[in-house]
This record gives sequence, C-alpha cells and structure tokens, in this order.
Amino acid sequence: MSARRHLRNEPAIAAVFELPPGRYPELSTLDLYREVLSRALAAWPLKARDIDGLLVPPADMAGDRPDILMHERFGDELGLRTVLSETMFAGGASYGLMIQRAALAIADGRAAAVLCAGAGKFPRLDEAGRRSMSKIFHPQFELPYGPTIPAMYALLATRHMAEYGTTPEQLAAVSVAARAWALRHPHAYMRSRGAISVEDVLQSALIASPFHLLDCSVPCEGGGVILVTTGELARRISGQPAYIRGMGEFHSHGYQSQTDAFNISVGTREAGAQAFRSADMTPDDIEVIEIYDAFSAMPIICLEDLGFCRKGEGGALAASGRILPGGDLPLNTYGGLLSYGHTGDASGLSMIIEGALQVMNRAGERQVAKAGAALVHCYGGMQADHSTLILSREA
Amino acid sequence: MEAKPIPAISAASAPYWEAAANGKLLLQYCDDCSRYLFYPRSWCPHCYGGALEWRTASGRGAVHTYSVVHAAPCVGFEADAPYVAAVIDLQEGPRMMANIIGCATETVRVGMPVEGIFEARGNIHLPQFRPVTA
Repeated sequence: MSARRHLRNEPAIAAVFELPPGRYPELSTLDLYREVLSRALAAWPLKARDIDGLLVPPADMAGDRPDILMHERFGDELGLRTVLSETMFAGGASYGLMIQRAALAIADGRAAAVLCAGAGKFPRLDEAGRRSMSKIFHPQFELPYGPTIPAMYALLATRHMAEYGTTPEQLAAVSVAARAWALRHPHAYMRSRGAISVEDVLQSALIASPFHLLDCSVPCEGGGVILVTTGELARRISGQPAYIRGMGEFHSHGYQSQTDAFNISVGTREAGAQAFRSADMTPDDIEVIEIYDAFSAMPIICLEDLGFCRKGEGGALAASGRILPGGDLPLNTYGGLLSYGHTGDASGLSMIIEGALQVMNRAGERQVAKAGAALVHCYGGMQADHSTLILSREA
Repeated sequence: MEAKPIPAISAASAPYWEAAANGKLLLQYCDDCSRYLFYPRSWCPHCYGGALEWRTASGRGAVHTYSVVHAAPCVGFEADAPYVAAVIDLQEGPRMMANIIGCATETVRVGMPVEGIFEARGNIHLPQFRPVTA
C-alpha cells in the first residue's frame, strides 16, 4: 500500500521570479520588494484579485528595527484581500516552510494562489549588525566564548571529520562544485570570478577551522517571489508547473551548543524522511538536489542524513565528481549560497526557485537532462529549523 | 559588543555564577529523571519536572568538538584570535560551550581530556577549560 498522502488540488509552483543577487545600495529592503513584485507581476498573467494569499518574512531582521508586519505593509501596497496572510520567520527555512503552508492551504481548499516573497540585504558586519547577529547565541552560555556563525557551524564539521575521517579537501570539493554550477548561471554572483580548485579553497584565509573563506557563503543582496497555486491554475500559467509532491518539516534545538548531535543533522534526517514518506519516493527517485549550503560541510552532512549515501560517506560522495555538472547527483545547480550568493533575509528562496526551474525544464544552460524530481532542503537558525520539499514534473 | 560580553545573570542561573565566583562548577540535577542538565533552567527540559537540585560537578570532561576562530566577532576577541571555541562533554553527561585555554590552538583534539578553570571577566568568573596536565 502506498504511503503517499495525496494532496488535493495538486498544489504546484506555477511561476517564479528572482532579482539577480548583487549589490543594490540605492534600494531599501522595501524597494527591493517593490522591484521583485513589479517585475514579476508584469511578466505573469495575474491581477490582484487572483491572489488570495501572501507569505513574507520580516524585513531587516538583522537591523536595529526589523519590520514584523511586512504582510500588512506589503499586502496593502499590492492591494490584496487575502484568506491567508502572515509574516513568518524560521531563518533560511522560512521560504521552504512558506511553500508548505501555501500548499496545505491550497490542498485544504482555502486558498488558490499564494505569493511567497522575500527580499534581503546581507547584514553589514558593523557594530549594529554584529550585535543583532549575536542574538542567535545564548547570551550567558555561548556568547561569552566569542562564537561566530562560521565557528558554530564549524563545530559540526570538526566532529564529522573526527568521526568519519572527512577531510578539508572533501569540504572544499563542495565549494568547487558550487562554483562550477555558478559558471552556468547568468546571474550567479561569483560567476565572473571563474572556476576554483580545491587548492584555491584550502589556500584562502582561515575563518574558523576547518572553514576557509571559500568554504563560506558569499554575502549579497536580492529577493524573489514564488507563486504557489492549484494545479489547474498552475498549468494555465506555466504549462509545466513544479508540483509539490512531498513535504517535511522539523525543528530541533534552538542554540547550537544544545543540539542533540554534532555529527548528524537531526532536523534534516527527520524532515527528509517525512518528505520522502509523503511523496512515496526514495532518494533514488531524486534527480536534482538543492541543499542549503551556508558552509561547505553542510551539504555533506545533509546528503547523508537525507539518505543519498551512508552515514559518514558524504565527504567521499562530494569529492567523487557525482555532484558536478554532468554527474548523476547534481547538487546546488544554481551555484549555491557558496557561489550564487547568500541574500540575507531572502536566503533560502534561490534554491527553491532553482529546484522549480529544473523541474519545469527552464534552467537554461545548467538544465539537468533528466529532472523529473528535485529535492530542496533548507535549514534556518543554527540548523534548528528544517524544511524539505520534493518538487515533481508529475502531480 | 566591542568588549568581550559579560553575561547578565538570571534568576535561574544565579547559583551557577555565584559558585563560579568561588571556583566551583555547579550543574542542575533532575531528581525525577536522574540526570544532569546544562544550561541552568527553571524546569527539566526532559521531564518538565521542577525537582532540580544543584550539585558540584567534577570539572572534568573531554573535547566533543571545536573550532579555531581566526575571524573574531568583535574587538574584544581580536587580541585572542586565533582562539578555540569548543563544546565539552562533561563527565556528568551534559555538554557545554567553553574556550580551551592554556595550550597552543593546534594541540587541541576531539576527545582530549580537559579540566575546568575560571576566567575573571568584569564582575563574573567564567568557566573555561584547559588540557588535563598529567
């Protein structure tokens, strides 16, 4: 008997739009939203009356005054009257979870067309930015020890290396593959920098061992929007939509030092298993993989915990060439946060957009020949919040 | 955040910091589920029991994982960089974050035995760890 939980109304990603990641010094965050939506709405056959849901993150989360009522602010500008509207935030998992909330509302018959949008500026690492970023650490039991976000993720990498013999060269292979894919994306932030080698990664400055500069994602600004609709509406809009075939969500610890394990991403394992169960699929059915890669070690750990290889073999898999263009496990086909760009509060959108474009057969030069199903795994906070989506060419 | 942060003591953590000032590492012990906790809380996060008592910990443990931080988060830590941010497996069971001090950063290893010491910072004493000397 199939374990698959069929969603009613065939929720699907009908259309996507994203600003090229870059620097937009002349635009505020709200301006970035306006830019995203005006360009998307001009391209899509959609009027305000067609949209009945809006999900956005707070604006300027890392600033001194985040706007936690963005759905009101922005819904008003768009002239929306909605049955579903919310400002929600779970770090990098925000957008994955928005797609899930939208899909469930559509399956429930409550909504028909939900906009999931975001725009962000990577926090400037000045005094205010640092103060704000430091809220992610426990004020008494982490912050006094001088943690940084790279160092907190490095704790996972170090433990993984100690337990399984994962090497810095294998971590570097993730960054090298990301750059190789970025060279095939016209908008990737690091495209103009050309290819990099394992040696280049290892020779870049140490940030927090084992991470070098090129093991870390590249900060920039951007934004985008994903339209989730019923299957019927999606087919009218795009011909070939990306159907939301499987979903999984899990929230583990809050503070990194409280995680249940440093060698395993528990939330990835749980959310991934749920997504495969709901899609009635296994890792063998997935042809494109997008995994949140704020740091090079994370796709290695997540590939294992999603079941694409045995525990401890993620490093060897990353270095095998299978994740590169032309490989049989294409990973982060847009260049990843490592080379496409980490757009601050909007980070987590690009990889869903890419998964959808691959499934819709609209990924241009980097199109994977056989892209019937894509898995997109995003995490947020200190890998506390997890969303796994399985997008499919077939409902 | 220019200087090294000094933790603001909360009601739940006051005994922990008071003991640290006297050179002792205290841990909460849950009588209901018979285990030690970290960090200090008002209830046990495993059984939600409130029967927590403070016990003096051995101060012994081993490095569970670590990172040598080269890019410091603020001016206060810049002079220390590179320094070791680590998570310690305490002998009593729970894990806690600390710096490994008193040794060259390149000698730190996962599994290395460490012992607690206390760093005076502002008006508090911060539990830290150093390699166990034979």
